[in-house]
Formats: sequence, C-alpha cells, structure tokens
Amino acid sequence: MKKGYVQVTDSYERILHWMLAISCLLLCVTGLGMMFQTFNFVGAFFGGLKSLKLVHNFTGLVFAISLALVIRMWWKEAGVFVFPEDLDWCMAAGGYLWHVDKVPETGKYNPGQKAFFLVVAGGGILMILTGLVMWFPTALPVGLVRWMYPLHALGFVAIFAFFFIHLYLGTIGNPGSVDAMITGWMDKSVLTMLHPKWVKEMEHEGKLVVYGEEKKDDAHGHH
Amino acid sequence: MNKPELVKLIDTTLCTACRGCQVACKQWNELPGFKTKQLGTYQNPPDLQWNTWTLIRFQEYEDKKGNFQWLFRKDGCMHCTDAACVKVCPSGSLYYTPLKTVGIHRDKCIGCKECVAACPFHVPKYDAKTDKVYKCDLCYSRVKESHAPACVKSCPTGALTIGDKDAMIKKAYAKVKELNKTEMGKDANVYGDKFVDGTHVIYVLQFKPEVYDELPKNPTVPASVTIWKDLLKPLSLLAGGGVIGGAFLHYMIHGPKVPHEGTGVEEKKGGE
Repeated sequence: MKKGYVQVTDSYERILHWMLAISCLLLCVTGLGMMFQTFNFVGAFFGGLKSLKLVHNFTGLVFAISLALVIRMWWKEAGVFVFPEDLDWCMAAGGYLWHVDKVPETGKYNPGQKAFFLVVAGGGILMILTGLVMWFPTALPVGLVRWMYPLHALGFVAIFAFFFIHLYLGTIGNPGSVDAMITGWMDKSVLTMLHPKWVKEMEHEGKLVVYGEEKKDDAHGHH
Repeated sequence: MNKPELVKLIDTTLCTACRGCQVACKQWNELPGFKTKQLGTYQNPPDLQWNTWTLIRFQEYEDKKGNFQWLFRKDGCMHCTDAACVKVCPSGSLYYTPLKTVGIHRDKCIGCKECVAACPFHVPKYDAKTDKVYKCDLCYSRVKESHAPACVKSCPTGALTIGDKDAMIKKAYAKVKELNKTEMGKDANVYGDKFVDGTHVIYVLQFKPEVYDELPKNPTVPASVTIWKDLLKPLSLLAGGGVIGGAFLHYMIHGPKVPHEGTGVEEKKGGE
C-alpha cells in the first residue's frame, strides 16, 4: 500500500461485489450460450448445453443471494437520489460528456453510480423472478409464463449494456478507481476529484483512514 | 434431393374414432402406455402426453335444434411453417426437416420447456424422467423414405391422407365444397392453411373451428415470442456493442478523468 492512499471499501463490500459480479458474468456467458444458437459452443466448456442450463440455474441462486446482500449493504448509499445535488450532477452529465468547469458535488455515490446500482438491483430482481418461472414453467398458466421470456431478455439487454459502461468507468475511464474494488485503498487525489464531498464529510467526521497516518480525532473514540 | 412439401389431411367427417392411428403411433415410435383415469368419456388418455403424440378427441355436440352428434378430432402436432417451437428452441433440437415438417433431435433437447410455453396448439409435452420434450415428428423416419406416417397407414376410413401440399389443400377445399352442398351443414371449412404461414397438417372441419374442444380459433406465433426473439435478442448485442463503441470513442475524444498532479482537481484539457 502506498502512503497517502485512502481506505474506501472494507473486505465485506469487496467480497460481495465480486460474488455478484462473477455470478452475473457467468450468468451472462451461460445465458448467451442458450439465447443464441450461434453461441451454443459455449456449452462445450460446461460439458454440453444441458449442463450449461444447470450451471446457469444454480448460478442464478448464488446471484440471488449476493444481490439480496448487496442491496441491503448499498441501498442507503446508492439506492436513493438526493435532491437537488444529484439533479445538478445529471445536468452536467458528471463532466463526462462535455467540459464542465466544476462538476457538482454529490454524496458518496454519484447519480451515475446510483443508476447503475438501481439497474442491477431492479434488473436483477426481474431476472431472478422471471428466471425462477422459466426454471419451473409448468407451475403457472401458460399465458403468464410466455411473458417471462421476453422480460428475462429485457433485463439482459439492460444489464448487459450497463455492464460495459460500469467496466469502462470503473477502469480506464477513471484511472485509479478500480483499486476501490481490489485493494480497497484509493489514491487520495483521484478520490478527491471523483468524490470531493464524501472526502470532506469523512474528514469532518474523522472517518478518513489514510495509509501511514494516524486517525485525526482518535481522541473522540468513535467506534 | 428435391423432396416435395408434404401435407397431412385430416378429414374429421370421415373419422370413426377407431383410434387405430393412436395405437399405430405408439407402435412405430415405441411409446409406452400408462395407467389412465376414466373421466366419463371415451377419450383416453385425457390429453396429449409425452408418450401420446396423437389423440382422438371425443366431443359430444348438440346443435340448436337439439340434434346430438359425436365430433372426433385427431389432435397432434400441426407442423407449422412458421413454428414458434423452432423459434424458441435454444439448442436446435426442434428443426425444420427438408420436407418442411417440424422434426425433433431428442439428443439435443435440454429440457428447458420453452417450446411447451410457446406452442399455440399446446403440443410439445415434457417428461421429467428423461428431462426431454416429446411430440409428433410426422414419422420423419418413414416419410423421408417415402412411406406414409404410421397414423395414415393405419387409418381404415380414409380420414387421414398425406401427399403434396398443393394437391392436399385442393383436395380439402373440394371436400368442403361438397360438404356444404349437403345437409351436413354450411359451416364446413379448411383449417390450417391460412395461419402460421400454413400448417403441414390441415383439417376438414364440419363446423366452425370454435366449436371444437382445444382447437384455437386463430393460432399465431405468440407476440411474446416475436418480441423476445426478433426484437430483444438482436437488441441485446446491439446495445452491448454500442456501449463498447461508445466507450472507445469517449476514451479517444473526451479522455479519462485524471486529477492534476496531486491536487484532487480534474486536469484541464485542451480544446475538445
């Protein structure tokens, strides 16, 4: 760890993030293997399409558990928009699309991140519910079951597209940000640029943990 | 190898419900029989099953004048030209044969049951024991060698015939014309040639389609299937590809967010 790096996530957050991410990616890959006959070859890596289906279904259960825990963990921080600051940020597109002198400051997560979280949460719940019906389609009336398939595909359209946005902005689009989900420590200047208000809040509350520095207000002895 | 497009014609007015076709189907396809339930009708089993690919439906019909009549209809796969089951099958198990009928490669079936929900005629049936789906394949093993399907071969009354598509449709309409001249009614019609781009099993019906049990009046590939397969499926790849392309352009034109050396303020860029 480099000196001056700030702790932004704990191990629980990172483990849940990767449980969700890996199960989601596995679901995308195995799902694509069944959605397009062109991608049927993916089945070969899983011992045939029938096993691919089983891997897909049971990975769905892992995804469901991960998603439930992730929503519980991040709902307060990433699930609720705060006005007017989130709206101001949106009006400036977070400084991502055109030049903005000063990007409006938001809380820990900006509205773009919140939108991604909500798409994963809402889309994920949709995928779990429709997927369960698709797993046991004979349990419900056929007129209802029929619509589960396009809804499952709709959830995939949204999650698949948002996944690439997330991948880009979490890596090369914002150099240094990927550390948050690997080591959990981020370069302070990167963090301050991306989340100025959150850094100020943490400093104010004495929660800012900087590598190689003593906590400023340890005297107050909060948790 | 220019095989003709085959159509099987079921003339319900000639059917005596002997169920020879039902038995012949089981024999040729080596399908077991199971214990069944007496439901107060001669119809047996009550519905198509994974081991019963064709079934004579027995229906007690009474017209407005109180005249009683049996309606016998041989139910089974209609072999659609635009088949919802083939459209949804993820593994290529359901496929169009060179004769344009709908065949099934059982070894490829993964038991997903998507075809069970998609079929407008409720034909494919799932067997939990083998985790596979079953349905009539119009005796593909026989017809590809120019033999009649087992059901047609067994039919003693001529209610079942098979032949070249155009000839069979012509035959059906000729029969309907004849029926409508007689006291058997003015509602006789040909069922099957006008929807899902034409089925490869067509009926001569004495009454309007809605009279018959379990016979959809206007069967179509369900809208859910069209939205899913023709719209959302390509859209998923387009959207994913669009985002990747968009991210590439963003990186090239706008560039990543980088803080000005050690300040925590975004570096100012040149003209964009």
